[in-house]
Amino acid sequence: MIDIKELRKSFGHNEVLKGINIKVDKGEIISILGPSGSGKTTLLRCLNYLESPDGGTVTIGDISINSGKVNKKEIISLRKKSAMVFQSYNLFQHKTALQNVMEGLLVVQKRNAKESKEIALEVLQKVGLKNKIDSYPSQLSGGQQQRVGIARALALNPDVILFDEPTSALDPELVGEVLEVIAKIAKEGKTMIIVTHEMNFAREISDRIIFMDNGVVVEEGTPKNIFVEQKEERTRQFLKRMTPELDYSI
Amino acid sequence: MGKVFDPALIIEFIPTLTKYLGITLEILIYSTILGILIGIVAAIPKLFHIPILKQMITLYISFIRGTPILIQLFLVYYGLPAVLMLWNIDITRMDALYFVIITYSLSNGAIFAEIFRSAISAINYGQTEAAYSIGMTRFQNFYRIIFPQAIRIAFPNISNSIIGSLKDTSLAFTIGVMDMMGRGETLIASTAHALEVYISLAIVYYIVVVILEKVFKISERYLNRYQPNGTATI
Repeated sequence: MIDIKELRKSFGHNEVLKGINIKVDKGEIISILGPSGSGKTTLLRCLNYLESPDGGTVTIGDISINSGKVNKKEIISLRKKSAMVFQSYNLFQHKTALQNVMEGLLVVQKRNAKESKEIALEVLQKVGLKNKIDSYPSQLSGGQQQRVGIARALALNPDVILFDEPTSALDPELVGEVLEVIAKIAKEGKTMIIVTHEMNFAREISDRIIFMDNGVVVEEGTPKNIFVEQKEERTRQFLKRMTPELDYSI
Repeated sequence: MGKVFDPALIIEFIPTLTKYLGITLEILIYSTILGILIGIVAAIPKLFHIPILKQMITLYISFIRGTPILIQLFLVYYGLPAVLMLWNIDITRMDALYFVIITYSLSNGAIFAEIFRSAISAINYGQTEAAYSIGMTRFQNFYRIIFPQAIRIAFPNISNSIIGSLKDTSLAFTIGVMDMMGRGETLIASTAHALEVYISLAIVYYIVVVILEKVFKISERYLNRYQPNGTATI
C-alpha cells in the first residue's frame, strides 16, 4: 500500500537520504530504528511532504508523487492519505482538546459540526481523555498532549499514521501511557510507521523493523531477525548501545 | 499672561470641549481601521520575503519610525496636493480632516505591520506543520491556526499604539482641524484662560484613555483564555 522508491534528500551538501526503498502492506506495523542523524525522521517527513524529496517516488494508496514535478494539489491529496504524530505534539494552542481533534474533520474533510464532534469524542475516549475534552493544550501534561496528538491523527482515519519519535519529548513516567495508546491502535489493524528509540516497545509491537544508518536502510526484518539474528555489524553495534540488558538475556 | 486662574472654569469648559470629542474619536477610529488594513498588507511581503516589495516596505516603515508625526502630517498636508497637481488633480480644497486621517493611517500602518509580523513569527512552526500534515491549505492554516493566535500576541502592542495614537490626534489642530484640541485653542483665544483649558483637556483625554485601557484589558483577558494563567471564562 505504501511504496517508497529510490528516495533521496539532501540539506545543502549533506545527503540525508541516499536512495531509500521500502514497501509497506496494509495493516503492517513498521518501526524504524537507527542512530540520530541516520535520516529516519527526514524519511518520515518526506512521506508527508513536510520535506520535499530531491529524488524518488512516494506512493500511498492510489496517490503517487514523483519528486521534482509536484503541484500543491498532489501534495495535499497525499497528505490526506496519512497523518502525523509529532515529537513535540504540535497541538493547536488556541483550541481545546476536542477542537484540536475536530479541526481536520471540519476543515479538511468538510464534515458537519455534529458528525465531527461524534467522531472526535469517540477517538478521545479511545485515547483515554474523555474527561479532558475542554482543556487547552497548556492545561495538559506532555503525555496527555501527545494522546490528543494521536487522537487528532486517528480521527481522520488515514491510510497510515506516521509517528515521529512520539515519546522522545516526554518525562520517563509519561512514556508508558502514550505507548499503551499506540499499542491499542496497533491492535485495531491500523497501518503505522513508527520512528522510535524505545527498543523494547518496537520489538513487541512491530511486524517488521527497519534499521537505518547514514541515509540507507542497513537491514530489515522481523523483530526476531533484527534483535536476535541480525546479520549486519552496524545493527549489532547499535543494539548493543541501546539495549545493554540484551547481553544478560542471551 | 492671561487672566487670574479660576478653577471653576475647568469644569465649565469640559462640556464645550467634549462636543468635539466626536471628531477626535473619528480620527482615531478611521486611522486605526485603515492602519490595520495597511499593516496586514504591509506585513505580507516581509513574511513571505517578496523581493523589491519587501525593501520598499522596509523603507516605508523606517521612514515612519524615524520622523515625527507632526512632520509627517505637514508632509502629507502640503506634499500630497502638490504631487497630485502633477496629474492636474486639485485637492487643495479637501477637508483638512482627510489629510489627518491619511497621515495617521499611514503612520499606524507602519507600526501595525511590524507588530503583525513579529506576532506571526512568534508562533512556533510546528503548528503550521501539524496543519499541513492533516491536509490543510496554506490559507486555511493562516486564518484558522496562525491568525487567531497572532491577534492574541499582537493585542497588547496594538492597544498601546491605539492609545498613543489617540494622544497624537491632538496635533490635528495644527492644520486647522476642529477636534477637541482645536476647540481648546479657540477657547483660549476667546477667554484667555489657557491653563484652565489645558487642564480640562488633560482630564478629558485622561478619562478616554482610562476607558480604552479598561476595554482593552477585558478583551485581552478573553483572548488569553487558553493561556496557562488566563482565567477560563468563555
